[in-house]
Amino acid sequence: MKLLTHNMLTSHVKGVTKGYPLLIKATEVKVNDVDFNPQFVCRMIPKLEWSALVEAADLLGHRQDLPSELVPDYEKNEDFLKKVHRALLEVEVIEGCLQCPESGREFPISRGIPNMLLNEDEV
Amino acid sequence: MECEGNYVKAGRRSKEEKKVFRKQLRASHTLLKHEGIRTTRQPTKSLVVANGGLGNGVSREELSAVLREMGAMENLVMPPHKPFAFVTYRCEEDATNAHTRLNGQKLLCAENSVVLYLSYVNSVTHQKAVAETLPQGLVLVEDFVSPEEEAQLLAAVDWSSAHEDVSAQKALKHRRVKHYGFEFRYDNNNVDKDKPLPACLPGECLPVLERCLRDGHINIMPDQLTINQYESGQGIPPHVDTHSAFEDTILSLSLGAKAVMEFRHPDGRVVAVVLPSRSLLVMKGESRYLWTHGITPRKFDLVPACESQSAALASPDVRTQSGLTLSKRGTRTSFTFRKIRHERCRCAFPSACDSQRTTSPSPASPPSLPCCRADAALLEEEYVHRVYDAIASHFSSTRHSPWPHVCQFLNLLAPGSVLADVGCGNGKYLGVNPELVAVGCDRSGALVQICADRGFHAFVSDALSVPLRTASCDACISIAVIHHFSTQERRLAAVRELVRLLKPGGQALVYVWAFEQEYNKQKSKYLKDHNRDSSPTQNSSKKTQEPHGEPDTQRHSYYPAEDKLSVHTNRTAFNSQDLLVPWHLKEGNKQDGKDSSCRLSSRTDPRPGCDSSREATHNPDSKPCSDTSGCSSAPVFHRYYHVFQQGELEQLCSQVAGVKVKSSYHDQGNWCVVLEKDPSLQMI
Repeated sequence: MKLLTHNMLTSHVKGVTKGYPLLIKATEVKVNDVDFNPQFVCRMIPKLEWSALVEAADLLGHRQDLPSELVPDYEKNEDFLKKVHRALLEVEVIEGCLQCPESGREFPISRGIPNMLLNEDEV
Repeated sequence: MECEGNYVKAGRRSKEEKKVFRKQLRASHTLLKHEGIRTTRQPTKSLVVANGGLGNGVSREELSAVLREMGAMENLVMPPHKPFAFVTYRCEEDATNAHTRLNGQKLLCAENSVVLYLSYVNSVTHQKAVAETLPQGLVLVEDFVSPEEEAQLLAAVDWSSAHEDVSAQKALKHRRVKHYGFEFRYDNNNVDKDKPLPACLPGECLPVLERCLRDGHINIMPDQLTINQYESGQGIPPHVDTHSAFEDTILSLSLGAKAVMEFRHPDGRVVAVVLPSRSLLVMKGESRYLWTHGITPRKFDLVPACESQSAALASPDVRTQSGLTLSKRGTRTSFTFRKIRHERCRCAFPSACDSQRTTSPSPASPPSLPCCRADAALLEEEYVHRVYDAIASHFSSTRHSPWPHVCQFLNLLAPGSVLADVGCGNGKYLGVNPELVAVGCDRSGALVQICADRGFHAFVSDALSVPLRTASCDACISIAVIHHFSTQERRLAAVRELVRLLKPGGQALVYVWAFEQEYNKQKSKYLKDHNRDSSPTQNSSKKTQEPHGEPDTQRHSYYPAEDKLSVHTNRTAFNSQDLLVPWHLKEGNKQDGKDSSCRLSSRTDPRPGCDSSREATHNPDSKPCSDTSGCSSAPVFHRYYHVFQQGELEQLCSQVAGVKVKSSYHDQGNWCVVLEKDPSLQMI
């Protein structure tokens, strides 16, 4: 699971209202090599929950001193964009789980894939 | 079988010759396209004889008699179930003689007549010689009873007092059944252990059973007997004898005629066993508890041509000259002796055991449309989720070309748009527009794994509850997904979920399989690929149901829900909206599609943007024997579909608030809509 995916995922356990963002508990993390596309990263940033990204990257030890808040004119800052690229698209949780912040329910991540299926009684 | 060897001479006019030539070319082309057989114009020693195959009802004896007259025949290969044969002569001249004299000629056989088309081939394709053994625990003892005993036993059966109405049975062309000792009930596939039948086993059976005891096949005397009488063309569907009803060893005595019984293992292995008349079949252990056994309803069986070492096994051995031939069925009566089991079964095969499986439904009963959510979930688990997980890799290898209209939708989205692909399968659409922030989800872990391997963002989830925030997506697609939901409520809920994900003004594209495969007089590729040329004469046993009434499109009333779900015949028009569609799993399929059968599949449909089947169909099996006995060795999975009638998808979407249908169209056998979420909606 890459942090881009994590940024979009939320807990959908029945009755939960504060299910975002999910807490990451990682037991195995990998860093991949992904082609850097500055325009793509640029366009992606406004769509993200920035603080959730920074928190998650921090937890995994790949914050790379990304700021807690977006700085203006980041579009031209290639250095910054590269760091975002790495956090968002290169860092990958291979094994671990995602925890609902409200209910505590854990969703396993296995072979890089989060399994978000709920049981019949949780839907 | 006698061959009359009657030749109908083709006329010498060149018009007639041209016609034959055209047909021969067509036969060659079909052989190439569907079997990978290359023919050549240059004379060689070997010929392929189209229409002269076991699959056409031509026997080895009939064909070889004719071919031998043409010259010194060295080898005749007749692959089982195929509509062709290969003949090799000692010299080219003989082959040329055969070609000249037989091409375009009608061959009259005992049961039918065929027109043969011969072409030269450079090589004769040999099948893998599979060394097959009988299923574990299965023993066949030939000549177990003498002809006199056989006659006595057959005479001992009093059919007049059989429980079933005999005339009704005959009308239904059903096999005749009679029970002694205890009655076997076909409604629950079990025995009424508290109600023994008044008639116990006939005295004539006693010597036979004592022989079984003495020979060590059984330790206890059986107390239940079921007699089945099969006329030619009758059979019994594959099944495992209910574990909780009967003890381990089951004895089956075959009388009157021989037949081929097929044993199937859950992993897909099939072993065909010839049961000669007067033989005893002893089923124990794995062959009794795990393998299913059945008799395909047909009039001819494939049996070894000569009574050789592999008499029991009806599998081809190309090293011997004999190979296989057709054996016409006679009336076979089986006496099946069993011992009633009184305590729970504790066998080592819990997956097939009704004592040990608590939640599973009876495997013998076909599924019906669900009436409640729990049933719907169970049906989908069995006929959608488990199937996709099992076939994922093969399925993915057949899903390589994204459809143009879907690509168009994706390419028109603004760069940086967030896209959710709900039911993304193998991620086919996730990479179409690299400018998008695309995330996919699917119910099948196996398919999502394929997405991850390709570097896409994907997770496992159900389409009814997608763990993405409300109004977080600029666009959604759901291609060939919603038709897997088995109730209208669930299909509606799936659409609602898609809409929930959309930002105001966002668009969703939904594709579902259409009931109407022919639209604007254009047949969909799904129908067009249906092969008419070389369909084998043998029919597979299909679980057919009663025919349905005609649709009433005037009143826009949809098909009434059928009680039991019928199994669809691939590549034909639909006759029901709710059905099970077969998928024939190809063994040894690699994801990269390098397997030859995959290559063959993609070769038959090289046009871009169209899967050789459509997204929602099953394997693009280019072989004509798609769902006939030719592919009986491959496991078959059934997937549940609700195919949509014209207007039905739109009507479904119209029930969702805050969304309107922007466009709707028919695309290659699918109904499609583009939905737009109301731009003025205030989001919380």
